[in-house]
Amino acid sequence: MVAPPDNDVLWARALHHSHNGSPALQGVSLGVREGEILAVSGPRGSGKTTLLRCLSGRLVPREGEVWFNSAPVHTMTSLQRERLRRDRFGWVGPQPDLVPELTAWENTALPLMLRGTSRRAAKSAALDWLERLDAGDCARLRPHALLQAQRQRVAIARALVTMPSLLFADEPTAPLHRADGAQVLRTLTAAARSHRITVLLATHDPDVAALADRTAHLLDGRRVNSVHLNGAEGRDACSLSV
Amino acid sequence: MLALRLARGAHPLVLLRRLLVAAASAGVGFLLLCTLGYAVGHPGESQAALTRLAWCVLPLAATVHFAVAVARTDPATRPRPGLSAIGLGPARLAAVAAASTAVSCTLGSMVALLVFLHLRGDLTGLPFDGASAELLGAGRPLPLAAALTLLAIVPVVASTTAALTLRPRRKAVLDDDPGTAEPAPAAPPGGLPWGVALVALGVAVETYASRGGTGGAAALPLPGGLGGGPVGVLAGWALTAVGLAVAGPGLTHLTGRLLQAFRPGVTRLLAGRALMDEARRIGRPLGVACAVASATIGATTLYGPGGAQPFGPLTGLGAALVMTCTTATLLTAALESRQTRVTTKDALLRLGASASMLRMAVGVRALALLAVFAPLTWAVAELAALPLR
Repeated sequence: MVAPPDNDVLWARALHHSHNGSPALQGVSLGVREGEILAVSGPRGSGKTTLLRCLSGRLVPREGEVWFNSAPVHTMTSLQRERLRRDRFGWVGPQPDLVPELTAWENTALPLMLRGTSRRAAKSAALDWLERLDAGDCARLRPHALLQAQRQRVAIARALVTMPSLLFADEPTAPLHRADGAQVLRTLTAAARSHRITVLLATHDPDVAALADRTAHLLDGRRVNSVHLNGAEGRDACSLSV
Repeated sequence: MLALRLARGAHPLVLLRRLLVAAASAGVGFLLLCTLGYAVGHPGESQAALTRLAWCVLPLAATVHFAVAVARTDPATRPRPGLSAIGLGPARLAAVAAASTAVSCTLGSMVALLVFLHLRGDLTGLPFDGASAELLGAGRPLPLAAALTLLAIVPVVASTTAALTLRPRRKAVLDDDPGTAEPAPAAPPGGLPWGVALVALGVAVETYASRGGTGGAAALPLPGGLGGGPVGVLAGWALTAVGLAVAGPGLTHLTGRLLQAFRPGVTRLLAGRALMDEARRIGRPLGVACAVASATIGATTLYGPGGAQPFGPLTGLGAALVMTCTTATLLTAALESRQTRVTTKDALLRLGASASMLRMAVGVRALALLAVFAPLTWAVAELAALPLR
C-alpha cells in the first residue's frame, strides 16, 4: 500500500468497480488538492456518480485505494465510513432528497442536530446558510411548497451547514433550468471558495465544468485527456438496417 | 393472467399476506355457509337465521378492510415508471390489484365450501367426517344458488373495494414523474371532534337503553345465544366503535403534534412529524383495532369464562376473525407506511443518521401511540360495560 502525496486531501488509485458485472470504473486514479474545485466531467454513463460514491465511501471499490487525509477509506468498516461521511463530507445529489415532513430550516439544521448540536445553535446556523443561499424566505415552508430551485438551494445549504472538508456535488443542477442552475452553481462555488471547502463536482455540462479550477474527464469508466463525442457516428449507425 | 404471473414472482412475504387474506375469506365464507346451514335446518326460525346473518357483517367488514390493506401494500400494484411507459399505468394496476384480491378471496371461499361440506358429512374419506353434522344442518339438501351467492360475497365486495380504493386520482395521474414531483401532504384529519361526539353519544345511548333491560348479561346475548336483546345497547356499542374509528386519525395526528412540541431533539422531531404525516394511514386501522379491542374487553367482562353464556364455536370463530383481521390490517398499514418512507429513510442515512437513531424514532412513535390509545381503549371499554354490570 503506497501512501498518498501529502498535498492531496483526497487521493484515489486504480479504482475498479462494476455494477452486477457491468463495468463502471476501470482503473481511475485521481488526486484532489485542498480547497480546490475539481470537476469530474463526462457523458452520461461514464462512471461519474460511481466515482463520487467510491470516493465518498458510499461504495467500496472492487479494486483500488481511496485515501482521505492519509486515512485509507477503502479499508474502513461501514460504521467508520458512516462516521466519516457525517463528520467530514457533504453530499448534494441531482435530487434534493429533503425530508418531506420537516420545514426548510429543519432540513438544513438536521445534519447539525444529528451531530448533537443544540437546537438553538443548529437553527441559527441553518437560517444563516439559507439567507446566504437566497432561500431565507422559504425557511418555514415544507418541501412540497417550494420550487425545485429552492429545494435544491435548501439541499446545498444542508450540505454546507456542517462546513465539511469535502463536498461531493453530483450533477447538482441537473433538474433545473439553465438560469436557475447557473445561479445555484454560482452560490455553491462562491460559498465553497469563501470557506475553503474542497468540492468535487460531477457534471456532463462543459459550461458547469468551466467554473471549476481543474477538470478530470471520464469516458466509459476511464480517465481521458478530453472527451470529443462525434455526432456523425450516430448518423452512420442509422444507415444500417436492423 | 397478468395478476397470476405477477403473483408467481412475488416475494414470499407478499404471498403470505395474500394467503392470510385467503384464510380470512375462508373463515367468513364458512360462517356464511353455517348461517345457511342453520336456516336450512330450522325453517321456522327465520328471525334467528337473519340475526346470525347480520352478525356475519362484522367479520366480513374486517376481512374486506384487511384485503384492501394488503392490496395497497402489494408491490406488484405500485405504479412504476417502466410499466407506465408501456401502458400499464395506475388504472390498469388497480384492475390487477382487484383481480389479485378476487383470486385470493375466491380461493378462500373454495376452501370454506370444501371444509363446510366435509364437516357436514357430504364429502367423505377424511378424518372428522361429519364432525359437526348436527350444527351445520346435515341431511337436508343445500340450495346451490344460495351457497354460491354467499360465497361470492367476499370476493366481489373485497375486489370492488380494492379497485375503488386504488383507482387513480386525477392528481396522481398528472404527477407521474416521481423525480420532480414532491407530493403535498394530506390535510390534517379533522375527525377527532366527531369521533369524541360519537363515543359520548354511544355511551349515552347504551346507558339509556340498558335502564329498561333486565340488567346483566342476559340483556345482551351474543349470536351464540341468540335472542332479542335491547337494540339500543347494541346501537350504543356500534356508535362507540364507529366513534373510535373516526377519532383514530385525528388522535394520531394530535399525538404526533404533542410528540414534536416544546423544542424537540432530532429523534422526537422525526418521530412526531412522521406520525403527523402518517396520521390517516396509521390512524384509521388503529382506531378500528381500538374499537375491536374495547368491544372485546367489554364482552369478556360481561361474558367471560364462567359466565352465564360461554362463547359458542361459531361466535368464537367470528370474534377471532375480526380480531386477527384488524390486527393484521394495522400491521399491514404500518408496513405500507414503512414502504412509503423508504426514500426519506435513505436520505436520512445519507445525511449520517445512524440506523439505531431511526429505530429509536420508530420506537418512540410506537410508545407514544400506545400511551395514548391503550388507556383510551380501556376507558371506553369500561364505560361501555358499566351500565350492563
